[in-house]
Amino acid sequence: MAAPTLPGPEAAAGAAAPAPKRRPSGAARRRSLLPHLVLWVGVLAALFPFYWSVVMATNTTRDIFSTPPKLVPGTHLLENISNVFARIDFFGALANTAVVAVVTTALVLTLDSLAAFAFAKFEFPGRRVLFGLLLLLFMLPAQLSLIPQFLIMRELGWIGQLQALVVPALANAFGVFWMRQYMSTSVPDEVLDASRLDGCGFFRQWWHVAVPTARPGLAFLAIYTFVASWNDYVWPLIVLVNPQVQTLQTSLAQLNVSFGTDYSMVMAGALMAIIPIMVAFLFLSRWFVADGTAGAVK
Amino acid sequence: MTLTAPSGAAGPGAAAASAGRGRKNRLIRPARTGGSQQRLGPVYLAITPFFALFGVFVLVPVVFSIWLSFQKYSVLGGIGGSEFVGLRNFEFLVQDATFRRAIVNSLLIWVLGTFPMLAMALVVAAMINSVTKLKSFYRLAYFLPNVTSIVAVTLFFGALFSEQFGLINQALAGLGLSGVPWLTDPWAMKVVVATLITWQWCGYNAILYLAGMQAIPGEVYEAAALDGAGPVRQFWSVTLPLLRPVILFTTVISTITTLQTFTEPQVLFGSNTAVNPNSGGPGQGALTMVLYFYQQAFNNNDYGYGAAIAMGVFAVVLVFVVINFRLARTGDDR
Amino acid sequence: MSLSRRSFLLTAGLLGAAGSSVLTACGSGGATGAGDGDGKDLAFWYWSGAISDTVVKDVAAAQTGITITPSIIGGDFKQKLTTTLSAGQSVPDITGVKGEDMPSFLTQSEAFLDLNDLGAKDIASSFSAAKYAAATTKDGKQIGLPIDLGPTATYYREDSFAAAGLPTDPTAAGEAVATWDGWFDAAKKVKAATGAASVRNTTDIFAVALAQQPSTFVTEDGAWGGESDAVKKSWDLAVQAHTDGVSGAVFDGTGYNQALAAGTIVGHVGPAWFGLDIASGAPDTSGKWRVTQCPDGPANIGGSFLTLTTACRNPQASFEYIKTLLSADNAAKSFTDASVFPATLAAYDLPALTAGQDFYGGQATIEVFGPAAQALPTVYDDANNAAIAAPYYTELSNVEGGKDATTAWNDAVSAAKQIAQRAGVQ
Repeated sequence: MAAPTLPGPEAAAGAAAPAPKRRPSGAARRRSLLPHLVLWVGVLAALFPFYWSVVMATNTTRDIFSTPPKLVPGTHLLENISNVFARIDFFGALANTAVVAVVTTALVLTLDSLAAFAFAKFEFPGRRVLFGLLLLLFMLPAQLSLIPQFLIMRELGWIGQLQALVVPALANAFGVFWMRQYMSTSVPDEVLDASRLDGCGFFRQWWHVAVPTARPGLAFLAIYTFVASWNDYVWPLIVLVNPQVQTLQTSLAQLNVSFGTDYSMVMAGALMAIIPIMVAFLFLSRWFVADGTAGAVK
Repeated sequence: MTLTAPSGAAGPGAAAASAGRGRKNRLIRPARTGGSQQRLGPVYLAITPFFALFGVFVLVPVVFSIWLSFQKYSVLGGIGGSEFVGLRNFEFLVQDATFRRAIVNSLLIWVLGTFPMLAMALVVAAMINSVTKLKSFYRLAYFLPNVTSIVAVTLFFGALFSEQFGLINQALAGLGLSGVPWLTDPWAMKVVVATLITWQWCGYNAILYLAGMQAIPGEVYEAAALDGAGPVRQFWSVTLPLLRPVILFTTVISTITTLQTFTEPQVLFGSNTAVNPNSGGPGQGALTMVLYFYQQAFNNNDYGYGAAIAMGVFAVVLVFVVINFRLARTGDDR
Repeated sequence: MSLSRRSFLLTAGLLGAAGSSVLTACGSGGATGAGDGDGKDLAFWYWSGAISDTVVKDVAAAQTGITITPSIIGGDFKQKLTTTLSAGQSVPDITGVKGEDMPSFLTQSEAFLDLNDLGAKDIASSFSAAKYAAATTKDGKQIGLPIDLGPTATYYREDSFAAAGLPTDPTAAGEAVATWDGWFDAAKKVKAATGAASVRNTTDIFAVALAQQPSTFVTEDGAWGGESDAVKKSWDLAVQAHTDGVSGAVFDGTGYNQALAAGTIVGHVGPAWFGLDIASGAPDTSGKWRVTQCPDGPANIGGSFLTLTTACRNPQASFEYIKTLLSADNAAKSFTDASVFPATLAAYDLPALTAGQDFYGGQATIEVFGPAAQALPTVYDDANNAAIAAPYYTELSNVEGGKDATTAWNDAVSAAKQIAQRAGVQ
């Protein structure tokens, strides 16, 4: 991928900074081959299921289950895909999932960074109590509130509707913790002080100073939230009772349960469901491989 | 990933700190220097939307859940139709052989799915840290399993481990070994679930470790090298001790998440034939605590008992998280 | 797509979210969820294989003045239906109910319409009496019309029986397996001759034997029956399938299909609808299978119902729709398309059912299932039976994994007792 260009005060962590190398450069070159060997075994293990799912999705179920099995991609992909389309509303589910993930992410970034900025840089009455409460409830497992959340959704009339997925997801304390931690160290107080002297209020400081400086932290929170929303399964399984309104995950699971005998078709569906998130990840990944050494690999 | 990010100070330890050390290590500078008091109205305004949602969807549900666990809740009757039953749900819970089985299953999946995974992640991180080429490629490749949906991945693994014609058993047969009934033997089922967890989370944890390793200043290694420590010694005596906060953080997070495993067994073994009312696979070998909770709450519609199970799950998770911290502290004393 | 997404997007847009660019992608409206008030758009839920998809669509298309939107619900149908009923939102107008779930929905009969008000009484006699009665509440409310039955029978492969020296003709084979002892003898001979199992796993035997009992885990007066002779006898028969080595000990769907295809399982004891599982799991074995009577006489397993919920926006039209779906002609089509064995008696005389079937080597299976359907015993199925039965099934699979049968029985009973107690059974 492209060499990352990072805004913000990144110099600190960059290994490419003229900090001295850990190991004396005289170390034997031979020894440096071993890690690559080990790492490639791991890479193969990590990527093999993807390859195998492509093999399954492009062959027929019968090919896969023959002895010896087919180990190379076949020519039945379109047939398997059209079988998926015949059984579930794939694009409807895709659109639902995308809308929920995008809206959730946008709102989480906004709300959490606002709250986090307040906690990171401002002293106000109740700050400690509120943050302690956040910490305490963060420790509680999610399913503790599953039943009441369902009953609340019932009262709101949101059962079977997409806002039932978005709104509870906004109340995730993780983002506030993360952004508070990030902003308290990366947003320089001097700049804030200066901007206040210029007459900037809280929201302008947030928008003009905190948000630009904390962009890498926000990028992480964005992908974390997006992936979590995209892949959420338990909650949609419970609240999305309307068969016309499903997400990719619940549709996929239905494909498996109702038509589980056609593995090739199920795999084609699974593959199609992960491609968008993979593309999104690869697209955003430049934020994550962001350190100096990344530049070494073109 | 994240954590390699720019401001070195917000490194991997930072996430750990937010869970554990919190305010202790970092003084927050009130942004009111020079005596001019910042107006607090906008500050409260900024935290209000989050806390409003947090109150409605986290605080209220937790309190409500505690109330529910003392009720026999009538699904159609609603709150008015429910009946206070005291500790009866909890009495049932402690006698419930199925819940005990679910606890044991969850613990076994935790042991099988956490410790080998974290050890492998450390090795991977050390390896990536030691190379200069392909660094970002490795990061991406190892991280990729983590962004794929659990449902899709579970479907892949279900096909891989399928009993007679799955690739794993075919490979075993090719080696002249007999196949393993991966999806019906209670032990093999747990191994499959643990393998899935390992595959999906190993790279994620490796990247957290890597970030931690990169935050260790080079001078420390130089000093160790001057003392005559080779790379292996350096790993044991420098890297590992300095990584302790990150290791503790990943162990706690992995403990919390694996003890609450749900999707893998639900997709692999959730629904059975019409005749067999079991879930969690044959012999309920992969019935986890959260899967049992789900069954009781949303299949049997026993909300009161479901709430009691949720509290039970919380208690079990809490015990093991505390054990994690205790172990970490014992290490400190040495 | 759905209204929900659109209205949701409006809300989201008001919140100033960044999702607006996706708006255009979602404008192709069409299907309607529950909630419209004009009584013209009706939602119909069923699961794959409940009834012929073609019949559902064709009959829906023939309706005038209403639009029926059928949805195939995957996953746990009962869970979806209870959730939506308890939420009171997205409730379908018309829905299928599985036979094993009916006892529990009978206790929530206020969520369903009484079909007697819509004319069910007039057509009651056209259905199997035992099955029709299974959807009647204690106070005489009729909440469902039966789609199908699951009269039990013995499935066997002609070539396996021949190899074992058993009679291959269904009538003669039926005499050999007329009792459980006879069935076990035959299965052991098949095992000795071919090495193959005669049933998928022990729980299949358990289910059939239980279905033959007048009452099982909970008696009609609400008493605990988990240790009764009826349950113990069924358990012992199931364990015998393990000790005699005639159970395939297969518990997963893929493994079962593979075992059928490989010929390591060559028989079954189970309901009529199970034939579809065999035929779709191992199409290559077509022509080799036969059906004959069930050991110790037929019982019923499964078989579903069509119901109308109280949320139904057009009861009369909906009732006409389900009535048409279950007419003898359509029931026969469902049998042809989806192996749904009709609860509508007049269908038994139609060519679709009387014809010989290729999968069974030209045998007219109605000659076995027809008389079985008429001879079904009346049984009491308590709403708590399904939950209480679970530990027994779990322990049976443990027995096949090597657990001692007596220990397994004791564990099953104590776990079941606890569940019964929680449900209020004394």
